[in-house]
Parts: sequence; C-alpha cells; structure tokens
Amino acid sequence: MGGSDESIKYELSQTAYIKLVLHALKHPSSAVNGILVGRLSSDNTTVQISDAMPVSHSACALLPPLEIALTQAEEYYCKAGELNVVGYYHANERYDDSELGPAARRIGDHIFRYFPQAAVLLLDNKKLDGLIKGKGRDPAVVLFTRDSSKAWCQVGSERTSQLVLKEPSAHSLLADHITSKKWLEIVDFEDHLDDISKDWVNPNLFK
Amino acid sequence: MVGLGGASASEAAQLARLEEQAAHGGGGAWEYLCLVRRLKVRRPEPVLRLGLSLLNDSKARSKLGSEEWTLYEQVAIAAMDCQNIDVAKDCIGILKKKFPDSLRVGRLEGMLLEAKGAWAEAERAYAVLLENNPNDQLLHKRKIAMAKAQGNTTLAVDYLNKYLEIFMADHDAWRELAEIYVSLLMYKQAAFCYEELILAQPMVALYQISYADVLYTMGGMENIQTAKKYYSSALQLTGGKNTRALYGVCLCSGSINQLSKGRNKEEESSELQALAAEVLTKEYKRQAPAKLPIVTEMLKTMKLS
Repeated sequence: MGGSDESIKYELSQTAYIKLVLHALKHPSSAVNGILVGRLSSDNTTVQISDAMPVSHSACALLPPLEIALTQAEEYYCKAGELNVVGYYHANERYDDSELGPAARRIGDHIFRYFPQAAVLLLDNKKLDGLIKGKGRDPAVVLFTRDSSKAWCQVGSERTSQLVLKEPSAHSLLADHITSKKWLEIVDFEDHLDDISKDWVNPNLFK
Repeated sequence: MVGLGGASASEAAQLARLEEQAAHGGGGAWEYLCLVRRLKVRRPEPVLRLGLSLLNDSKARSKLGSEEWTLYEQVAIAAMDCQNIDVAKDCIGILKKKFPDSLRVGRLEGMLLEAKGAWAEAERAYAVLLENNPNDQLLHKRKIAMAKAQGNTTLAVDYLNKYLEIFMADHDAWRELAEIYVSLLMYKQAAFCYEELILAQPMVALYQISYADVLYTMGGMENIQTAKKYYSSALQLTGGKNTRALYGVCLCSGSINQLSKGRNKEEESSELQALAAEVLTKEYKRQAPAKLPIVTEMLKTMKLS
C-alpha cells in the first residue's frame, strides 16, 4: 500500500465549493482556476478546505496573475487568518473535457511545493449539469492528489469518501445561488487587476 | 474566447450600464444590442432575452427597418450559445425565407448543426459553401472553431496556422492562436504570435502586456528583462496607470534581483521599480484602501528579495 498520504481525507466547505462553481458558471466559455485555502486538521488526517480564491478566467497558464495572487493570498489568508494554501481548482474550457490538462498539472506542482498534501479539484461539468437539473448528490468536482511517482492521479470511485462536503446543506444552497444567478457577482483576481476596486475576497457574496 | 479584451474600460462600463437599464425595463435594448455587436462581446443571455422581446413586438420590429434581419442573426447566434435550438431554428428559418441563397444564412445553418453537435453534417455543409466561396474567412474560422470544440487542439492549431498564412492581418486569429499555444504550454510559439501582433499594432498595450506575461512565464534572466521592457512600454501607452503592467514591472524587478544576487545590479532598474511601486500604492490608496496593507507587504518582499 502507499504511504500515509493516501488516507488523507479532504473536507470541502460550502464556501469554497460554491465559490468555485460560481466562478466557472460566470465564464462558461473559458477555463477558470483559483487557489484553495484551508488547514490540516490537528490530528493530521484531514485537509479542511475552507475557502477559495478565484484567480483567472483567461490565459490560466500564465504566471504573473497567479504569482501575484498567491503572494497576496498568503498575506491575506495565511498571515492574518492562519490558513495555508492547500490546493488549486480548475475548470476546463470544454464541457466534455474531463482531463486534468498540462497547465493545471503544472500549477498543481507549483502549489505542491507550498503544501505536500495539496489537492487539485477539477470541475466535473456533467455532474454540475446534473446538480443544476436537480439530480445528483456527489460533489461536482473530481479530486486529484499527487502519488509517489509525482503524477497527479484522480482519486478513484472506490475512494469517493476521500473527498467530502463539509456541510450537508451545500447542494441546496448552491442550487439557490444558481437559480438567483449569483455567479454574476463573483470577482476573481483578474477582474481585480482590471479594476482594483473589485474585491477578490468576495466579502459580500453570501450576505 | 476573447471576451472584453478589445473594449476599453469606459466601453465596458457603458455596456454594463445599458445591460442593467434594459434588464429593468428602462429601455435602451436596441442601443445595448448594437453596442454588443460593435464591441463583439459574448453576452448570450441578455442578448437572447432583450433581442427576442424586441422581435416579438411587431411595432418595435417594424421600427428597425432593414436592421431587423441583423437582429434575427444576432438573436439566432445568442440562442445557439444558450443552447436554445428552437429559437435559433426559428430565426434562421425566417432569414432563409428572406434571403434564400445567402452565404451568410448558409453559415448560420452550419452553426446550428454545430450547436446540435452534428459535427459531420456541419463539416459537409461548410465544405459545400467553401467550394463556392473558398476565401470566406468566416467559413474557415468555423472549421477552426469546430476542431477546437471537439477537443482536437492539434488540428485547430494546424488550421489556424494555415488560415494565418493567407489572412495574416487577422489580429483576432493571432490572439486566438497565442491563447491556444499558452494553454498547451507552448510559450515560445505564443510569444511569436504576440510579436506579430505587436509589429502590426505597436500602440495596443494589451498585446505588449500579454507578450510580457508569456516571457515572464518562460523565465530566465533575458526573458524577464525583456518582459520588463514591454511592461514599461505598456505603461507608457496607458498613461502609467495600467495595473497589470505596474505589477509586471514589480514582478520582473523582484525576479531580476533574485536572479542576479551577488552580481552587479543595474542602476536604472531601481528607479522604474520604485516608481511603479509608488503608483500602485497611490492607486490602491485611492480605489481599494482595504487591500493596501497586502500590496505594501508584497512590494516590501520584492524589494528585499
């Protein structure tokens, strides 16, 4: 069997989950990505992903916006909030593309250097579609972790319990937000670069 | 695809204002639809909603005169974008009755096949149209779009390159190719595309910033020094306030300092970097004071590194 990393669980808070889905919905015809922040539980068994910082919706594979975003995320979440950068999320441009592409893998590697138990979450469009139509209860994301050969591997269906949604109400809340077109309000770091009065922390998104 | 890259900040604001106004029944729907067309932005939901309400109102429709047909086309495309195949079919049917042998309508029919996922049929339809219209740029672009939509990125790149050999002044195509190369991590090739764009349009800051972004991503002292030059150039073109360019200058300076630790540092670089940092600080103080401490910390780290 593999090392202890294999049994690490990932708990996704509704704040992080909903933000990343809304980000993807706001930009249906492009790839989007963002950073995940959270902490390792005190007993080292669970990575608690508590928030998401949307970063890009165009040219996700360019370094400058990501680097600045990571630096500022560290300032905001880590120093002030005692959280870590714990992962990265990505949504592909095309509906039926379920692969973790080269850009996403490379960024995942970058994040891995910050946090060895880093998670990469890839949005699953088909599952999201199901959610929007009111069926399906699985989280609409696929979890990738790095195995011993340094490759990003999808966590298989036998281990779906490795990624759990923290709040059982997450999906009904997400459904509400989708109906009310909440995605129109979400701001990512690139939006901030184009207009710095826009806040990438999205403080009033869920108020 | 391209999004709001071509629109200026004021145009983007005007678009948002009109969208808001029309959405709340405040009129200006036609103005909004014209602006969307002019800026070539992708706003399928409001276009479909507002366009349809105009088309279904016979009084409003007759006021449009010959523009009515342009609106049918615009609504058809928005409908396809929203996967509303029925509305698209209706609009195209009306256009076909009015313009029975039109290439433009033929293209729309091809797009409808694409929207339905009927790739082989769409390809056949375009092949027929291309026989009679071998130099129609939009038909060629549909082929590229289809390749991309089916995930055949290599083919899309191949078609795009062939397209650009003939239509080398098509700036949108160069941008599209650059963006595909970036997504494939083929940064050298992306850089080449941006070089072509900068040669053709040296006053467009966006291309210089994108080029600098690519160079910075490629890394290495030479690339980062060049990136810094292009960020500075973009700053000159935009009156010194473009946030991406300002950050770009700071990032490059920070990296150059890192890379040249122990070697002689250029004297001029510290002036530009200091100026960029100063402008950033001023802008954040003015527009986003809550974020100022974060930016200040970041700038401090870069100066020290």
